[in-house]
Amino acid sequence: MGDAPRSAAGGSSRQRLEPPAVPAARPTTRPGQRRARRRRLRLGLAFASPWILGFGVFIVAPIALSAYYSFTDFNIFQQPAWVGTDNFTTMFRDDRFWHAAYNTVYLTVVGVPLSLFLALVIAMVLNLPIRGQPVYRAIVYLPSIVPMVVAVYVWRWLLNAQYGYVNDVLRRVGLPQPLWLDDPAWTKPAILVIGFWMVGGTSIIYLAALKNVPKELYEAATIDGAGFFAKFRHVTWPTISPITLFQVVMGVIGSLQIFAQPYLLAQKGFNSAVGGPADSMLTLGTYIFQNAFAQFRMGYASAIAWVLFLVTMAIAAVILVSSRRWVHYDD
Amino acid sequence: MSASVPSRWLRIGVLVGAATLALAACSGSPTPGEPSSSGTTGAETTPSEATGQPTEITFSYLWSGVEAESLEKIIAEFNASQDAIVVKGVSNPDTTAQLTAMSSSEGPFDISDHFGASVGAYASKGILAPLDEFIEADGYDLSDFIPSVLDQMSYDGHYYSMPIAVHTQMLMYNNTLLAEAGLSGPPETTEEWADYIAELTKVDTDGRITQLGYGNVEIDTDFTTLGFVFGGNWYDEAGNPTPDDPGNVDGLQFYVDNVPAKYGASAVTTFQSGFGELASAQNPFYTGQLATIIEGAWEINLINQYAPDLDYGVAPLPYPSDHPELAGTTSVSSSTLFIPANSQHKQEAWEFMKYLLANDAMGEFTHATSNLPARMSLAGDPIYEDLGDAFGVWLDSLSSPNVRAMASAPAAAQYGEDRALAFEAIANQTTTPSDGLANLAETVKQYG
Repeated sequence: MGDAPRSAAGGSSRQRLEPPAVPAARPTTRPGQRRARRRRLRLGLAFASPWILGFGVFIVAPIALSAYYSFTDFNIFQQPAWVGTDNFTTMFRDDRFWHAAYNTVYLTVVGVPLSLFLALVIAMVLNLPIRGQPVYRAIVYLPSIVPMVVAVYVWRWLLNAQYGYVNDVLRRVGLPQPLWLDDPAWTKPAILVIGFWMVGGTSIIYLAALKNVPKELYEAATIDGAGFFAKFRHVTWPTISPITLFQVVMGVIGSLQIFAQPYLLAQKGFNSAVGGPADSMLTLGTYIFQNAFAQFRMGYASAIAWVLFLVTMAIAAVILVSSRRWVHYDD
Repeated sequence: MSASVPSRWLRIGVLVGAATLALAACSGSPTPGEPSSSGTTGAETTPSEATGQPTEITFSYLWSGVEAESLEKIIAEFNASQDAIVVKGVSNPDTTAQLTAMSSSEGPFDISDHFGASVGAYASKGILAPLDEFIEADGYDLSDFIPSVLDQMSYDGHYYSMPIAVHTQMLMYNNTLLAEAGLSGPPETTEEWADYIAELTKVDTDGRITQLGYGNVEIDTDFTTLGFVFGGNWYDEAGNPTPDDPGNVDGLQFYVDNVPAKYGASAVTTFQSGFGELASAQNPFYTGQLATIIEGAWEINLINQYAPDLDYGVAPLPYPSDHPELAGTTSVSSSTLFIPANSQHKQEAWEFMKYLLANDAMGEFTHATSNLPARMSLAGDPIYEDLGDAFGVWLDSLSSPNVRAMASAPAAAQYGEDRALAFEAIANQTTTPSDGLANLAETVKQYG
């Protein structure tokens, strides 16, 4: 929004540079102006048409079709048959759906706050005035540029119960060695651990926010006798709260859609779509995939996808509404 | 600028896009059991007759490695043998990509492969072209195919696939480990096998397993086979799942009693988590981590490739001593060829399929991959002599009256996923075989 006045100013300065253009437009009649506007509109639409067409065909149409399929019995290969709300009523009686929903909510409720906390702590450390910070920042960010599939496959071996380095370290320090990928109680923490390892991107965004906190506020707080925690609570946290809102919304959306990590960690063989021990890694994303591409229940998968979408929208709306209470804007 | 004009344009664009996609998605979807027009008239309308050029068809197969090399050789032989059809082979082991390709109105390939247990699932959804008209038109003789395997190829009274290779499960044992334990020869009964498992399992001072007398390398194959071994069945005659069959419960109880209950489910899971890939030198049987396993004849080929020095033997699966009539029980599965319903060259694909199914090509392929042939007339063929005595044990199993197959039911994929969950819970002792399979029996009632 802040750019709008500058654009307008830019427009007026352009008029000043090209004075003949203004008087030339005056003699144009009203029908002429309308024709010119239509011509500009047609030209604009013509230039934008590839995007409009692509948006319609590849985004709007699939969304609309998936909404239609959610009310059908559709196996991809044959004509969809209208079944009304059967897919939705089936969903609410489906134990595996609820199990997948529980796993997804667990990963979101536990994972998002912990990730943000960890990212913020790392960002604050990276913001300290010590030598070599650019190197440390690069190291923290490095895992974020590792492709997800590669990262998960590496972690499969790191977390291996028999030969994994993680359990080797735990053994050396005398701690219990969990069956990270084989014990239903530990599979979700394993997914979270991988997420924490890749938290560098979030940290860098927080670091940028921390850099923008006005130093005068810290100076004023220091004069008022504030300590580290008081400064964080009354200066840092409110100032970076818009960034936190962004991170929370993006984190929640990403976590509710989580697919690659549980899919790859639970995978038993090429192309297999399983939910891990006792379905403990079955998320709504992997369950949608299983139904759509392993069992060919595209109608049911579409219904689950729509429920996930609507729930995600609702949660995002709640977060945005609640942000009025905890997000602080300068203006 | 008026807002109504662009919004109208957008509405039109969206409608056109949605209609286009809807039409594309809805076109070319044949009704199951009804061949599309191109299925019967492909040969009459192919460009080959109009242009005089050979028709090119694509054979997209899931095989890779040695299997793919063997197939490419056969493809080259077929192409050289005639002028009407040119086959292009493509190795693509991605089943999801295979299925996605078959959902369009015009298929990118004309012939492909899968497994016998999937025939019903695929055919019921209209993915496969029925082969009956081709079989009838050519008077194609099916009597040479192994009957139990041929049964898997049909759904709702129509043939949708043909078997090129067959796989039975046998007991493989590591001779070196048996000799170290003072054991000679394989166990004959399940009671003897239980003793062998105890003798062949080693646990270190920390309670960690270092060698297991028997371990499941593929839990679904192992556990379903154990069910068959104890007289169970996973489907009834009508093709309905019967997971809680008493024989199945006994089979899984055998595993639980002799492996996790004795050595601890957690210790077994930890040990198994360190297993390498099966098609690699780190296969736990090749490395000596497992002393006995249940596996198929393809192991001959893999062992020659990855563990040529392994001293191993092959024997029929043990039977319960109080049920001698169950001796020679094994489970059978098959690798199949099919023509997708959206193929544009079904007639040509059928011609190539017949070539692959003939004794020469089938013999060449199954020999190269150490798979069992789907034709009975090939069972005694000297071509397999260089595969050794072990291959003979697998071959002999085909003539057993106790060869059992999983039905190719429409809900096979769903049943497989639910079985995997139940089997894992049983193996981890979070439930008992009887409770786990009883719960599974309740779950399968929900299948449509």
